[in-house]
Amino acid sequence: MATADAAAKPIRINASDNDIKAQSPTQRVIKRFTRHRAAMFGLMILIGVIAYIFVGSLVFSEAQANFNDTSIRLEPPSSAHPFGTDRIGRDILARTIYGGQISLLIGFLAVIVEVGFGTAIGAIAGFYGGWIDAVLMRITEAMLSIPALLLLLVMAKFFAGKVEPIQFLGRSFSGSVIVIILILGLTSWMSLARIIRSNVLSIKETEFILAARALGVPNWRIILNHILPNTLASIIVSLTLGVATAILTEAYVSFLGLGVQAPTASWGNMLTEAQEFNVIKNAPWYWFFPSLLILLTVLSINFVGDGLRDAFDPRSDNKV
Amino acid sequence: MGRYIIRRLLQAIPLVLLVSLTIFVLLQATGDPLATMGGRSPTRPEDKARLRRQLGLDKPILEQYLYWLIGNDWAKFDLDGDGIAESPGIRYGVLRGDFGTSIVTKQPAMKIIMDRLPNTLLLMVTSEIITLVIALVIGVVSAVRQYSFLDNALSGFSFVAFSMPIFLVGFGLLYIFAVKFREWGLPSLPTGGIFDPKEGRTLNQLVLHMILPVATITIISVAGYSRYIRSNMLEVINSDYIRTARAKGLSERSILYRHAFKNAALPLATLIGLDLPFLLGGAVVTERIFAWPGTGRLFLDHLELLDYSVLMGLLMLITVAVIVFQLLTDLMYTWLDPRIRYS
Amino acid sequence: MKRRLLFVLTLGLMLTLVAAPTLAQDKKVVTVSYTQEPLTLNPLYITQWFAANVVDMLLTPPWFIDDNLQPVAVQVTEIPSTENGGISADGTVMTMKLRDDIKWSDGEPITSADYVFTYDMLMLDKNTVSSRFPWDTKVKSVTAPDATTVVVTFNEPFAPWLTTLFTASPAMPKHALQPIVDKDGTLDTADWNRTLDPGSGAFKLGQWESGSFLSLVPADNFWGGKPKLDEVFFRVVADDGTSQNAALETGDADIGPFLTAADADALEKQGLVTTVTPSGYNEGWFLNVNPETAHPAMLDVNVRKALAMAFNRQKIVDDLLLGKLPVPGSYWEATPYARPDAKPYDYDPEAAKKLLDDAGWVDSNGDGTRDKDGKELELRFIASQRQIRKDVQAVVQQSFAELGIKVETSNYDNFFDTFGEGGPAATGAFDIAEWSQNPDFPDPNSNVFLCSEIPSADNPEGSNWTGYCNEKVDSLLQEQLKTTDTAKRTELFHEIDQQLFDDVVWVGVWYDADIWATTKRVENARYSGADPFWNAINWDVTS
Repeated sequence: MATADAAAKPIRINASDNDIKAQSPTQRVIKRFTRHRAAMFGLMILIGVIAYIFVGSLVFSEAQANFNDTSIRLEPPSSAHPFGTDRIGRDILARTIYGGQISLLIGFLAVIVEVGFGTAIGAIAGFYGGWIDAVLMRITEAMLSIPALLLLLVMAKFFAGKVEPIQFLGRSFSGSVIVIILILGLTSWMSLARIIRSNVLSIKETEFILAARALGVPNWRIILNHILPNTLASIIVSLTLGVATAILTEAYVSFLGLGVQAPTASWGNMLTEAQEFNVIKNAPWYWFFPSLLILLTVLSINFVGDGLRDAFDPRSDNKV
Repeated sequence: MGRYIIRRLLQAIPLVLLVSLTIFVLLQATGDPLATMGGRSPTRPEDKARLRRQLGLDKPILEQYLYWLIGNDWAKFDLDGDGIAESPGIRYGVLRGDFGTSIVTKQPAMKIIMDRLPNTLLLMVTSEIITLVIALVIGVVSAVRQYSFLDNALSGFSFVAFSMPIFLVGFGLLYIFAVKFREWGLPSLPTGGIFDPKEGRTLNQLVLHMILPVATITIISVAGYSRYIRSNMLEVINSDYIRTARAKGLSERSILYRHAFKNAALPLATLIGLDLPFLLGGAVVTERIFAWPGTGRLFLDHLELLDYSVLMGLLMLITVAVIVFQLLTDLMYTWLDPRIRYS
Repeated sequence: MKRRLLFVLTLGLMLTLVAAPTLAQDKKVVTVSYTQEPLTLNPLYITQWFAANVVDMLLTPPWFIDDNLQPVAVQVTEIPSTENGGISADGTVMTMKLRDDIKWSDGEPITSADYVFTYDMLMLDKNTVSSRFPWDTKVKSVTAPDATTVVVTFNEPFAPWLTTLFTASPAMPKHALQPIVDKDGTLDTADWNRTLDPGSGAFKLGQWESGSFLSLVPADNFWGGKPKLDEVFFRVVADDGTSQNAALETGDADIGPFLTAADADALEKQGLVTTVTPSGYNEGWFLNVNPETAHPAMLDVNVRKALAMAFNRQKIVDDLLLGKLPVPGSYWEATPYARPDAKPYDYDPEAAKKLLDDAGWVDSNGDGTRDKDGKELELRFIASQRQIRKDVQAVVQQSFAELGIKVETSNYDNFFDTFGEGGPAATGAFDIAEWSQNPDFPDPNSNVFLCSEIPSADNPEGSNWTGYCNEKVDSLLQEQLKTTDTAKRTELFHEIDQQLFDDVVWVGVWYDADIWATTKRVENARYSGADPFWNAINWDVTS
């Protein structure tokens, strides 16, 4: 929060509630989640956004999203172009669809990298302890003592232009997409690693893990089959809120010129393109629609994440 | 206690070394600072070779790191390019208080940073204080009136503000209060900077120029703190201890402020303590939008120039501050909560 | 309750401050918005265009280059020429006669010893100066036979003398700096680098707030008179163009350099005056003709001509630049060195198709892309990260596809890295590369078409990234450098220009002049492409 510009911190809510009924844990979670009004509202918006970018891509082809005509540049919204046109006369509606796919892709993949790293490091450190734990936690601390956004910028600068464009599903993506996914993941795993580590430490001493050990079950198997499922709640909540943070951070890094690069569009770099005075002033539709979509997506994911946290946390209430 | 502090500080040394080495290598491997020295045209090859030699950029990365760390006044260098090392180095190294000189401005890196630090602290500390005041009000009110319309509305607003990209807030405020207000003939705010040079660094000017960037940062950060305060307050309010107080018939106000709030303040103090050192890094995006002459913009500008002395200096300053504040926060804990003892 | 009271009080205080009337100003002040803060003011170390401009006002060269690109004597009695003996008959000696009434701002006379000192500082090994050009390769010696005479001797005739030498590195005050060099061994860390006091300009530095602004006030002892203004501010704004233009529009700034064409248009509508100042730069395509790295089609001059004709440059300029800048027909556009009546290739897609058909590039496999001998006509079009270039790439990709030319676009952060550093343009990883390039403006000399500058493992810093090597152009370029007769040199350039045009190795996209915006209250601002603020002494404001 202090580094307002830096990655946002998750919002913490944990009100207490004592009425736990006799249900299976999963049922309880689902029930609590569905009764969380804000989360359901968020989920609906999120489904809407996802439908928008996927159904939209059936209506508009990528060629249409990239079709330019400089003689109709910066035209206000009309029936032909409901969101108006951009700086070289491309249809902004179609571009927000394809840009949205990239933004969401970055959000989800970055979080998978984050969760992968965070879980692996946290689980290993917690399970093995000793010098492995000490070294891993020192590295975690080191990463935490550098402002995330500054580190992110240094890494973005470092990797810029070093990754070639890639072909995926018949489409061509700028190498910067991979770069941004990696660095977003690599600069955000620390707090998750700490949570996982402390969870593992407490689970490690429970009887069923001690029993598994006594039976000679290999360590990796214990981690994978017994410990990780028990830390699933932390992982899922982190993952959800992480997606929101990653989408916002991508937009910041793109805004500062070090994010996703043309010709690939993302909501973040559509805003960068709009970052010219005459555009901000005279063509508000250019930055309004991508901003609105970022806001809606991030907001809805935050609601869902909040709902999930409450649903997983037995002490929590079922309302916001 | 004293031994605990010393042990913690000793443990921090390898941490700082690890951070500094990693960032140094990352920065050095990022690109050639001399490529951008030529301004609008690329630097001439002869000049590049000469400067690389003069600035010691032709040495292996680890050797350069060593010079950055402990100085190079004990070694000799070839400045004239005849292949014979004849001139002694002039750097003392970070360990002896010399953070090196900027490649581009030739000033000591620490001086460059210190020129900007007061501006950043002014912006960030003001924002932090205002943020906290607002967050406290919102957090306490929503906790006390849990599930009321007010609580739900404040929560909703918090989430929206929290999910907004900073530049949307920043440009929005700039557009409305600086550009449009001027157009409509209303009293408008300045577009950027820290004060109007024509007026000088007066309090009036500073306040005028701080309104928009402080508002931007506050809008974005209030949600995090207020939600945190709300949940802590709720936890305390529902605790046995407060129930007991209620049962004893204490007034609701006294319960709230003398007991509940005091207890909820402890985790908040920790959170603030851990957040404070990061204020040194400034607000990169906000400082850029409002042309605020702080460390965040300094970092961006010098990252563009790959001016490693300044970048390293700034990052090291923050890292050390983070470690010191972590220690201070822990110590504060023992002071606020007598149950905890470190030995 | 207390808190609420405090809040109300704070709010009240803020409102009072906002409403407080600003004091009336009787001082004449002009504010220039600057997107880059000078990193240093010493010309020896300057790499920024922005910093060099400020120095024009603080430290005067022997002569300025004015807005018509003509020299205007400042420290010398007359501009050296062959007629007045300033340039020796064989072109190897340049003699400058200094005025005898010129003084540093602290009252000490400016003498030839200061010029020799400046040369010594450029060549001192402990000074990390940004460039020694042309002092290290072209100049044999700088001497001072008497207090007002400076003699520069060249290794061989050096045509660009007028706009290089001390025009780029004005004389520095020996009496103030020699003691520092004696003590520190270097000038690198001198405080003077950030004050230029004592100086030799019409202005001197008033204040410098890091990251915020510099202020310049009239200097003492300037022999050319007193400035009309009382103070000039250079306000540092963010470099995204947004804050700069907001400042110009709201009147927080009076002068804004380096605008985009679209922003200039928006500001014009707000009543600002825009000025287009030639800077020697032209945005253009460099076509790869290096057989080792280029697509085989690029080696055929008719294919290159077809590319030039298939690209509707006028439409780009009209739509994206709002017609503010023309399409250049010459690498030396709008200078006397461009061949007479230089015109770009016309947009003619039909003719382009025919050229491609005739060259054998036809779509034989029906995949929509032309091919020849089993090789598809797929070209790599690269550029830096500049937004407007990305726009051009997208437009070209689409319009070329209609002609059966497939274009892959990429953008690089390290676009301008050398061959040795693996830069994409230098290593030839392109067929079309777009960037803005100038000759040694205002001098017409250019190295980017020399055979000897083709980069390779042996020549990792080479600047000829197209790999173009034409014996005729090469020898003409060598010859002009030694031709001190301006008329003869101009003719040589016309010949070079014609050959480059015929070989279609460079295709101009737009004339990349600097665009300035000025509020109407500022008078007499005449920006020069070489020394933008040369006449700042005459700037004035209407009341």
